[in-house]
Amino acid sequence: MIELKQPVGRKAALFNEREHQICVVARLIEDGKAYWIAAGGSPMASMLLAKRLYAPNAVYVTEDGIVAPEPLIPFDPMQQVVSPRAGYRALQWANMNLIGAYAQAGVLDYGILNTLQVDPYGNINSTALGDFEGGEYRRFGGPGGADSVAALCWRTILLTDHDRRKFVPRVDFISSPGFLDGSEGARERWGLPRGTGPYLLITPWAMFDYEERYMRLVAISPFVTLEQVLDEMGFRPKIAPQLQTLETPTEEELTILRTELDPRGQITLPDSSRWVALNDDGSYSFVEAEAKAVDPNLPRW
Amino acid sequence: MAQELEILAEGEAPYLPVDPDGFREWVRDHKDRSLRPKLMSEREAIERFVQDGDYLVYECNYLNRGPAALLREIMRQRKRDLWVGCKFTWIDVALLVEAGCATKIDVGFFLYSAAIDRAVKEGRVQLYEYSNVVLTNRLLAGAMGIPFIPVRSFGGTDGFKYSGAKLVRDPYSGQPVTIVPALNPDVAIIHVHQADIYGNARIYGVGISDLEAALASKKVIISTEEIVDTEEIRSDPGRTTIPYFLVNAVVHLPFGAYPGEMPGRYCSDVEHCVEVVGASMRGRLDQYLEKWVYGVGSHAETLDKLVGYQKLAQMVERATIKEGYGR
Repeated sequence: MIELKQPVGRKAALFNEREHQICVVARLIEDGKAYWIAAGGSPMASMLLAKRLYAPNAVYVTEDGIVAPEPLIPFDPMQQVVSPRAGYRALQWANMNLIGAYAQAGVLDYGILNTLQVDPYGNINSTALGDFEGGEYRRFGGPGGADSVAALCWRTILLTDHDRRKFVPRVDFISSPGFLDGSEGARERWGLPRGTGPYLLITPWAMFDYEERYMRLVAISPFVTLEQVLDEMGFRPKIAPQLQTLETPTEEELTILRTELDPRGQITLPDSSRWVALNDDGSYSFVEAEAKAVDPNLPRW
Repeated sequence: MAQELEILAEGEAPYLPVDPDGFREWVRDHKDRSLRPKLMSEREAIERFVQDGDYLVYECNYLNRGPAALLREIMRQRKRDLWVGCKFTWIDVALLVEAGCATKIDVGFFLYSAAIDRAVKEGRVQLYEYSNVVLTNRLLAGAMGIPFIPVRSFGGTDGFKYSGAKLVRDPYSGQPVTIVPALNPDVAIIHVHQADIYGNARIYGVGISDLEAALASKKVIISTEEIVDTEEIRSDPGRTTIPYFLVNAVVHLPFGAYPGEMPGRYCSDVEHCVEVVGASMRGRLDQYLEKWVYGVGSHAETLDKLVGYQKLAQMVERATIKEGYGR
């Protein structure tokens, strides 16, 4: 069983799926461990939220060389990297080769990655959707730092939306390695360090771990059913005998997220993210909601 | 007893040929070890040190401490057939492609956009796959004068197939390990905070592979926010990021990272960033290039006519964090 920390504060009455996912990930972050975090987006929001409420001594690095900063938030739009705000009060300013070396030498416990497409073995695609070998495909930016994170950190935590287009039996292109073909020793046969690989995958609806290198459902969010979770996947995962429940966000978490970490809604207000209400009887329902909780006077990008 | 190194798998993509001895000889014959002033205009630096067909690397990107003004000069001079090493890049690659400068790209990361998509599908641009760190590791090998470097990542990915990587049996441990070819680019362009007239350069803050890129490249063009006296460099030698003997040209370009941010000096021009990214997404980088590259003759003219004092003053004013940036 994965230890799920009790959320700090009172359950919020209204939140969206992305906010929920960020809070779930924040509560998984371990104090005193070192993380390699993508420079922007929900992995960073989860880490910063965790440092405020759950894991004050967790530290992180980013691929541009920032080591253990106390960043000034929020970051300016499009300035999440090589930025004085992001690197403020760091313990070291390094560079990409050194961050890669830290990971390669085994210093970094966890990596957290957003993914475009995943498969049951935790392989990640961020390069192309479709038939890359001669057919029609839609191209994306490439692995960036994610290949190193997924190969070199001891454990990789993957994030994706809960959408059947994201969960496929085999990714169209392995940009960053999971357990490859799922066979025992596949990573080692490709020269990747022993004892590394995907650890958890978290969507707004569910959490998975890997049993024998294959994705296994271990927890679901209280606002969806098991059937809904499975319907939105392009393959059937293993299912743990006892499913845990992912606690929904608290007012304390959302206040930090909305007013400090992401006041412009760049991370927490994607069009695709649905709103969920906690009803008086303790049940949840999806609702049509404006981004009411976000101060309309704050600049939006 | 001599044995062949066992190759277990290999990528199929072309890679810049590796020639460590040739590189050393180039360095011996072309990198000037005398303290000689190298100040010149951006036009002269790009004319003299960037040739059609060169392999180009640059540090950081168009919005973050990148050599944005030098990149615009490369486009203005309509350099052709460049092979670009894209670690940690962004919209800059789309600009180089739209301007017809780039025909081959080693991809770690870039902002994929309509311009690149069109060029790839029409066969005008070839993409080869790596990751950011694998590319900076290749530069590290180039900087060390060695022919290849083992990496513990990249193996097993589909990118491997479209790269110059090989999976070999490590002759020491007997375990499989991925090796990638050293990268010795023809030219590196790097924007720095301070440099003296010889090219001793200081960069403040984090970086990607500044020294590695400078040491690995045959030709190095530095643009700098500020020219400092060599006495200043000597007063704090531990601060020298890139020493003069790696540098071919020094260009004094205040606001040379514009529209990007220069840590400790100025913030980015947010409106400009939105304009260029928007143009890229709409597939109208041609309009952007017309205005910001071909429509002006130099960086100074760009600042003068298109940006203006008021905007620059605001960018400086917004850069409130000074700790660690030499101020």
